[in-house]
Amino acid sequence: MELKDGPIGAVLVVGGGIGGIQAALDLAESGYYVYLVEKSPAIGGVMAQLDKTFPTLDCSMCILSPKLIECGRHPNIELLSCSELLEVEGEPGNFRARVLKHPRYVDLAKCTGCGECAEVCPIELPSEFEQSLAARKAIFRPFAQAYPNAFAIEKRERPPCGLTCPAGTNVQGYVALTAKGQYEEALSLIKEKLPIPGVLGRVCPAPCELKCNRTLLEEPIAIRAIKRFVVDTARDESPLPEIEEREEKIAIVGSGPAGLACAYHLRRQGYKVTIFEALPVAGGMLYVGIPEYRLPKDVLEKDIAGIKRLGVEIRTNTPIGTKPTIDDLFQQGYKAVFAAVGAHRSQPLGVPGEDADGVIHGVDFLREISLGKEVKAKGKVAIIGGGDVAIDSARSALRLGAEEVTILYRRTRVEMPAREEEVEAAETEGVKIEYLVAPAEILTEKAKVTGVRCTRMELGEPDASGRRRPIPIPGSEFDLKIDTVVPAVGQAPDVSFLEGSGIRVTQRGTLEVDPVTLETSREGVFAGGDCQTGPWIAIEAVAAGAKAAESIIRYLNHQDLREGRVIEEREPSSVSFVPFGRTKEPRAKMPTIPIEERGSGFKEVELGFSEAVTVKEASRCLACGICSECMQCVAACKANAIDHSMQEETVELRVGAVILSSGFDEFDPTPLNNYGYRKYPNVVTSIEFERMLSASGPFQGELVRCSDRQPPRRVAWIQCVGSRDESLHRGYCSSVCCTYAIKEAIIAGEHVPFELERAIFFMDIRTQGKDFDKFYERGKEQGIDFVRAKVYEVQERDGTGNLLLKYVAEDDKPNTREFDLVVLSVGLQPSPECIALAKRLGIQLNKYGFCHTSEFSPVETSRAGIYVCGAFSGPKDIPETVMQASGAAGAASALLAPARDTLVKKKEYVPEKDVSGEEPRIGVFICQCGINIGGYVAVPEVVEYAKSLPDVVYAGDNLYTCSQDTQEKIKEMIEEHNLNRVIVASCTPRTHEPLFQETIREAGLNKYLFEMANIRDQCSWVHMHEPEKATEKAKDLVKMAVAKARLKEALKPLSIPVNHSALVIGGGIAGMTSALNLADQGFEVHLIERSAGLGGTANRIHYTIDKGDVRTFVSNLAKSVNEHPRIRVYTNAWIVDAYGYVGNFTTEIMRYRGRVIEKIEHGVTIIATGAEEYKPQEYLYGRDPRVLTQLELEDEIARSNPDVVDCANLVMIQCAGSRNGERPYCSRVCCNQAIKNALKLKELKPDMNIYVLYRDMRTYGFYEEHYEKARQMGVIFLLYEPEDKPEVSQIRRDGQYLLRVKGKDPVLGEEVAIDADILALAVPIVPPEEARELAMLYKVPLNADSFFLEAHVKLRPVDFATEGVFVCGLAHAPKAIGESIAQAKAAASRATTVLAKETITAEGIVASVDENICSGCGICEALCPYGAITVDEKEKVAKVNEALCKGCGTCCGACPSGAAQQRGFTADQIISMVTAAVEV
Amino acid sequence: MTIVLNEQDTKFKYEVAEEPGGENIKLCFACGLCTASCPVADIDPEYNPRRIIRMVLLGMRKEVLSSNLPWLCTQCYTCQAHCPQNVKFSDVMKALRNMAVREGYVHPSFMEQVKEIDTFAQELRHQMVLSMVDKKSEEVEVAPAKLAEEALGTLRARS
Repeated sequence: MELKDGPIGAVLVVGGGIGGIQAALDLAESGYYVYLVEKSPAIGGVMAQLDKTFPTLDCSMCILSPKLIECGRHPNIELLSCSELLEVEGEPGNFRARVLKHPRYVDLAKCTGCGECAEVCPIELPSEFEQSLAARKAIFRPFAQAYPNAFAIEKRERPPCGLTCPAGTNVQGYVALTAKGQYEEALSLIKEKLPIPGVLGRVCPAPCELKCNRTLLEEPIAIRAIKRFVVDTARDESPLPEIEEREEKIAIVGSGPAGLACAYHLRRQGYKVTIFEALPVAGGMLYVGIPEYRLPKDVLEKDIAGIKRLGVEIRTNTPIGTKPTIDDLFQQGYKAVFAAVGAHRSQPLGVPGEDADGVIHGVDFLREISLGKEVKAKGKVAIIGGGDVAIDSARSALRLGAEEVTILYRRTRVEMPAREEEVEAAETEGVKIEYLVAPAEILTEKAKVTGVRCTRMELGEPDASGRRRPIPIPGSEFDLKIDTVVPAVGQAPDVSFLEGSGIRVTQRGTLEVDPVTLETSREGVFAGGDCQTGPWIAIEAVAAGAKAAESIIRYLNHQDLREGRVIEEREPSSVSFVPFGRTKEPRAKMPTIPIEERGSGFKEVELGFSEAVTVKEASRCLACGICSECMQCVAACKANAIDHSMQEETVELRVGAVILSSGFDEFDPTPLNNYGYRKYPNVVTSIEFERMLSASGPFQGELVRCSDRQPPRRVAWIQCVGSRDESLHRGYCSSVCCTYAIKEAIIAGEHVPFELERAIFFMDIRTQGKDFDKFYERGKEQGIDFVRAKVYEVQERDGTGNLLLKYVAEDDKPNTREFDLVVLSVGLQPSPECIALAKRLGIQLNKYGFCHTSEFSPVETSRAGIYVCGAFSGPKDIPETVMQASGAAGAASALLAPARDTLVKKKEYVPEKDVSGEEPRIGVFICQCGINIGGYVAVPEVVEYAKSLPDVVYAGDNLYTCSQDTQEKIKEMIEEHNLNRVIVASCTPRTHEPLFQETIREAGLNKYLFEMANIRDQCSWVHMHEPEKATEKAKDLVKMAVAKARLKEALKPLSIPVNHSALVIGGGIAGMTSALNLADQGFEVHLIERSAGLGGTANRIHYTIDKGDVRTFVSNLAKSVNEHPRIRVYTNAWIVDAYGYVGNFTTEIMRYRGRVIEKIEHGVTIIATGAEEYKPQEYLYGRDPRVLTQLELEDEIARSNPDVVDCANLVMIQCAGSRNGERPYCSRVCCNQAIKNALKLKELKPDMNIYVLYRDMRTYGFYEEHYEKARQMGVIFLLYEPEDKPEVSQIRRDGQYLLRVKGKDPVLGEEVAIDADILALAVPIVPPEEARELAMLYKVPLNADSFFLEAHVKLRPVDFATEGVFVCGLAHAPKAIGESIAQAKAAASRATTVLAKETITAEGIVASVDENICSGCGICEALCPYGAITVDEKEKVAKVNEALCKGCGTCCGACPSGAAQQRGFTADQIISMVTAAVEV
Repeated sequence: MTIVLNEQDTKFKYEVAEEPGGENIKLCFACGLCTASCPVADIDPEYNPRRIIRMVLLGMRKEVLSSNLPWLCTQCYTCQAHCPQNVKFSDVMKALRNMAVREGYVHPSFMEQVKEIDTFAQELRHQMVLSMVDKKSEEVEVAPAKLAEEALGTLRARS
């Protein structure tokens, strides 16, 4: 659909905070398709975390949440959550953007947000949303109101334990489940990979433990012991897995760990498996090689029994080789053979006397013992070797009653292959070890052993094994008197059975196989385990068995044996760190039986952990992979939404423009040692405090300290933490902290029943926003103590959790003050991700890493076609972010105007059925919501009940009524039962009503024929302990809904045609910018200016603080406006009348002193009437020519008046006439204006003495740099308090009148005076008189200071409650040029959402007036906040303008005669519900 | 007494800023963190780094250079480490001392004497800490005066 050579009508917005949401909504409503890319699983950003918003104290979530839904459900906004923008190529208007979509592991289309997955997830993590003050699970939804209302799984690479395990056991998974006491689940997870968990829980050398990240802290988790506990404890009553039987038979030779594992995995796939075992017992080396004190036989037997239970046949005493041969097996119908015969043949010592009586080889020795044969180990026993067999033999010999057991080993302890803990246990039991000793000869007498002749060794160069080679020391021989010699110097497989089989053997005497597939040289025969590797550990054999099973399955199914398989090199996991906040906890010690009990018999030495120890030990797990892939969520999710196999993908999107709204990070105060953050629990950051205050936060809104959960009585806020601090490279002001600290202090005071002591430690209070100063005053009135000091140090008072703050108070004395809780007002900083993104996109950043913008183009980045809004371009609050977002949308909209409406999706509906006059036929759909409702409310009972209600023709229940398949079902039922009313009894209409309305509309029903009963939030959740009563209540709620539904009627919302031209009032920068933006978008614009020319107040400004040339900018702007074919400029024009409503306004103007009257018809109105400079009465202004306003001073500087630019002493007084009772607001720009002029003068004459007398220097944001520069250039700043204002007087001296300014220096505590040559006053910005008239004409309000009052100070900063009218520039509030420009673009963008539409559809739920009853009293007219009601003076009745009515219901409540009714909520309908509720 | 600012030595601040270490003095925005962190201010209320800077900025040359204040700084750098505006106060003090000597407010030998006092104080502290017998328990009563006596003995014996 893309226009040839034209721009692409789609925009990519990065960041799903309030800025991104606003930009996306504006664009989508203006005819563009939007991709909203958000890195987290949900949109909402930081605003979602805030408790209340200043200065109106709205609940942040309450005002945000509707926006989330509006944005999330918009048909032309495609939300890409868990995604990142990688790069953007191409030209403005035609970009290719590559976006990386991280796997969410949860299918958004299927997830219903029921939360059952999180219930069962064993992994707890600190919740980012709750600032780590509460936990969340690895599968999570960031917050309850999140959009999408779906869960996501956080996963890292697999953890080192699982990656290390040769068999790929999910170690983190079963450890996590064990920590939660879910032993059955843990066992079943273990058994996914391990057929012999009991054995491995005892004898596995646990390579996983060596790689455990806990070693970075102290010691690894005792993984093996945890596994042992689980196996010993869990009732393994799990039903056999469903096995799909297959015909093929497979023979396995050897029942050791490899054979068992192979059999297990094959059998689970349905193959018929027979194991042939030469020995009389099953288990191979596990049975005959490991002494019972380490591995009790019953443990092994239980494991084997489990394998047999699956249907594996084990034939003992059946050696393969001579009869039957391997060929015989194939003849018997076995389709494949796995050889896993182990390595049972002992290696000879190769010294004389080895054949003597009294020599028994280690493997033979252990086998004989295991098989219960009588084995003697009398007298002195010498064991030769240093491996596990040697140690096992030595400890066994002791148990058989040997007098003395000595191990002779030819190297040292370091080289010993036996496991350290085994060696230690042997020594503990009394085994002696002689190192660097090798036997040279076994001494015999009458063919019986009498001793061993030994040679002492020394270590030489390393040999092939990497260990240092032992070299005999000549002449060092000595004899030991020995009765029994047990050589244990190695073993090898017995390969005699292969004779004639055609299977090749390696030089080492092991079976030759393909390392990837384990195929031998004979087709159909595979081999693995010790017979292939040589003697090695059981877990490797288990792994080989599984690998062989995989090969055999592929072989039998004629698949490629190699595809996708490699020789696994167990790469170390990249996850190698300890999560923050984890402290040392020692590893649990394995309890053992006492030494004295070990002497005789083979009682198991290790006792295993108790349950408590196991759970504690398992809880030490660092959850390195985050999600442990334990699959509990998969089992719990009834909607089958979870898919752990999801992969990340990169998508390429074609877009015309990009808007960056990627937000900010909070400054992390951890490195500031002097404030004790993370050291003292009661020092918290401001964002943490927001969560602490929030009713849905970690403490449910109860204000308590973190240390003792007690309410604090004294709370301190420390300002500028990470702001205005060059030592931290954060010289800028974060702009929002002063106001949010005041807000937090006010709210905190409301949270406790007593008088809360609150102090805010600040340097300058910067409440420069609209109406913020009144908020500051309110804080003062409430008793908040504002202390002008930077706190040096916070220290905890021992044991109390209380905090001592050290600072220099206003009296200039060092002071210490105690508080119970300290809040650090942390600043805003760009996130590293944003910086990286900007670098990828080639966008210029400022020195702090925020996106660079210039004053005259505040939403443009350095790259054309890429725009920015919100805190990424500098610290700012919500309304400024929203303004910029709309502004950026406006700029993008102008760029892409030719492509408007080319890519948007328009939904076509089936024609609506006319059901009027039909008897009600109601369908009731009752939701189980997984177990959220169904677990507490007897849903089938409610269904039956619903069926009994009048006019109900269908009732049924659904697992999830909001799922996609249920929408289809609803439509089918409407069709099948000819329903004309639909009720869903489920959750909240807030999130779900639009979905169901959409569904019934798709089925041809009017959407107002839908009704909802909330049986979850208001029933099952709150009454979960009283299921019977909850069921009764659910019935009542359904009954009420039915009662109302019977009376429901289809509503036809009004459709209003739109006039596509705009009226802009005011020809200043704001008005011109709005006009130009709209005209560039293709709309006709009428620009009204009451003076003779364009430019407004900006005509009096020469340069900006950043040295921008305002004159040139304004004249260029005026030129563009004047020359624009779609803009008609009316100068000397006054508005005399205006009427109409959104889309259809008429404005009458008068020009040339009443000579011409024009009537302009327009769809929208933008008020940009500007403001004026206040003419001061104070400080001798007007009485002494040396006293000027700042604008006048600027003029004098511009014209180089020598009296000004050459003067010696120049004084500036700030807040001259503002921030007082009469004008209780801050004019925002004056501090910067003063600094701008001071810097200009200093540039012209560096030695001029300039003194600035101020109350709070409000150089917010990056303006702080200029304040810094002014100080560096020698400007002196003198603080004054409002009660101690500067005095200005004329003093006569030497025939001259000196202009003397008197003040006080608070640091010195002394009176100071300056004889000024020039005195410049920073005077307030005041609204023009005409504002009041315009407000009345367009039915929009003004605030107490006569600035226009927007619809909502946070989220609708350029709109009015009256639709179609917008405001920008100084008419709204004092602001800087860049801010006016952004707001002007925002107003244009908001206006576009109207102008771009052919028609506007009003709300269907509106008021109506019964003219027969109405007396025309006019009460409703006076109360209507939208100006939607007018009383017709002739007919004496109130008339509702449906285009303006918002359906708030105020008129209906106020109407004394009941003439006003709310459609969709009529009195009859409400009363029917009430009646239904109370009737018995 | 009203201080008429334009009659003060308004060039003083520039001169201090010209001295090595004095470069950032004009950046001070009087937050008071230096004084709050100063161990000398803790024992001598007259000593106040913020105030000294203010006097420099307001051009009170004579009052600053003739006073004892610049000499009381122990050069511990605590204030300097925490100053949000990177005013190098300890270095400013050195600059003021140099200016005081140069402009004849103090005799050059005074500087040497102060240096000796500093060295001696450091040595004394060093010896006092070393002469504490028990370093592990909090029971032991530390009597600085007594420790000082012992330490002085050691120092004397050494010289």
